[in-house]
Amino acid sequence: MSVKLTKKTKNSAFWWWYNGNLTGFTHQHMQTFGFMCAMIPVIKELYKDDVHRLRSLKTYTPFFNTEPQIGSMVVGISVGLEEARANGHEEIDDEMINGIRAGLMGPLAGIGDSLIPGTYIPILLSIALGLSTDGSPLGAIFYAVTYISTMTFFMKYIFDKGYELGGRAVDVVIGEQATAFRESMVMVGTIVIGSLAASWIGVSTALKFDLGTYVLNGVEVPNILRLQDTLNGIFPNLLSLLTVLFTWYLMTKKKMSPITVMLILVAVALVGVLVGFFDPGLSY
Amino acid sequence: MQIQLWQALLLAIMASLTSVIGCLGTTYSWYTLSRPLVASLVVGLILGDVKTSIMVGAAIQVVYIALVTPGGTVSADLRAVSYIGIPLAVAAVKGANLDPASVQGAGLAVSIGALVGTVGTVMFYSTATMNLIWQQIGWKAIDKLNYRIIYLTNFVFPLISHFFIAFLPTFFITYYGTDIVANLKEWLPMEGIPMKTMFTLGSLLPAVGIGILLKQVVQNPVDLIIFFFGFTLAAALKINLVGAAFVGAMIAFLNYKIIMSKAGNKASHEEDL
Repeated sequence: MSVKLTKKTKNSAFWWWYNGNLTGFTHQHMQTFGFMCAMIPVIKELYKDDVHRLRSLKTYTPFFNTEPQIGSMVVGISVGLEEARANGHEEIDDEMINGIRAGLMGPLAGIGDSLIPGTYIPILLSIALGLSTDGSPLGAIFYAVTYISTMTFFMKYIFDKGYELGGRAVDVVIGEQATAFRESMVMVGTIVIGSLAASWIGVSTALKFDLGTYVLNGVEVPNILRLQDTLNGIFPNLLSLLTVLFTWYLMTKKKMSPITVMLILVAVALVGVLVGFFDPGLSY
Repeated sequence: MQIQLWQALLLAIMASLTSVIGCLGTTYSWYTLSRPLVASLVVGLILGDVKTSIMVGAAIQVVYIALVTPGGTVSADLRAVSYIGIPLAVAAVKGANLDPASVQGAGLAVSIGALVGTVGTVMFYSTATMNLIWQQIGWKAIDKLNYRIIYLTNFVFPLISHFFIAFLPTFFITYYGTDIVANLKEWLPMEGIPMKTMFTLGSLLPAVGIGILLKQVVQNPVDLIIFFFGFTLAAALKINLVGAAFVGAMIAFLNYKIIMSKAGNKASHEEDL
């Protein structure tokens, strides 16, 4: 006798995960409860007796945490494996399922974080910021619609792939072609972020040097050297570029947290203002 | 700018919905509704000034452009940035009679947003800690196969955490705080050191957002060339962001072709042997 999950049950597992992967988050269990919620409809349909139901539910109690969107693949894989176990594949036990779950959550977290919040979101937001420069709501709407629709499609696709391929699904995300694709995507992201930095950061100095006066057409003109103009002559927006490199250096080479770096910038701003390097030059 | 009771209530509801662990789920809440740019539209609709709100939100968004939360550690809670920081920043910018599109207007907004966001990390860690109570209940339900309690643990009980940790603080801070920041000019002169520092800081902080992203993608300093290339496109060649995305896509496409053809050569070479 073979049991096959209905499409409805598979969809409900997907949607429970989609909506609940982080809702009950604690640092102790992270996404474990979200994972169980996704597996419950599957377990209920596959097994009719409480002994098997309890055994299978307990399979999903170990700690689980990954990038939850790309992680929908692991849910798909587990659904597929659970179905195979219900059909009498005895080699599929708790140890095997949790081996795959635990083995995938690290790599998928790394890939997911670098591709989704690290690349895809910054690119979309950069474009959206460009659409919203004059206070237009267009950018916000563009981001929300594009992100939600593409991400929902991606999560469902990768869930179905996981279900179909079971443990072999791993190649789809960490195979040679996928790695080349990922590296190229990160490249687009880095280029766009470079442009974003140049368009949205405007660090400038108010420092100027009075070099006396010179005579132009018989009129005495003050000769003032503005450091900002000199720097822009070397490379446009040079100070912004240097500020970015400074934060990158502190976080990467000095292993500082973003909050520490922000505190250092508070000190830089204060000292800069005191010595007259920075001066926004405003009045009410 | 006087904020009405219903406006503060709506902001508080939005803050509850949109944490990294918010009740609308990761894709809707954390990655969409809590992003400052998207939130600024919602805040703008609530406050009745979409234009100012979006300009403020866009400036703050740059700081949090690449916020990644590896292993459940956050450097800012975006719901605090978005639904407390943006309303306060809008009130401050309007109160100081600044143009939100100017460097100074953006600078003030960014300083306020980042301050609220950093303090707001407390909200994230408190919610995660308070949820431990609900999980104690949920854990006991597993042995009894009580599915309903397991669902409640993951979806409904955490709403109580959000009520105390997001709803109440957001309500009180936005309801009473907007008045205080709107009258900034009465107690902080623009020529004074604190205000000058704040504006300067606002112009420096977006660099941290870019630095966070670079930290992930650039380990070897040589890879910075890709970033410099993007910077040059906009700074020296004046190409806009959509244009830069296409130039970037073209270069990435070439990169992909090169890697794949190398891999293909290797494979066919092995076949020959």
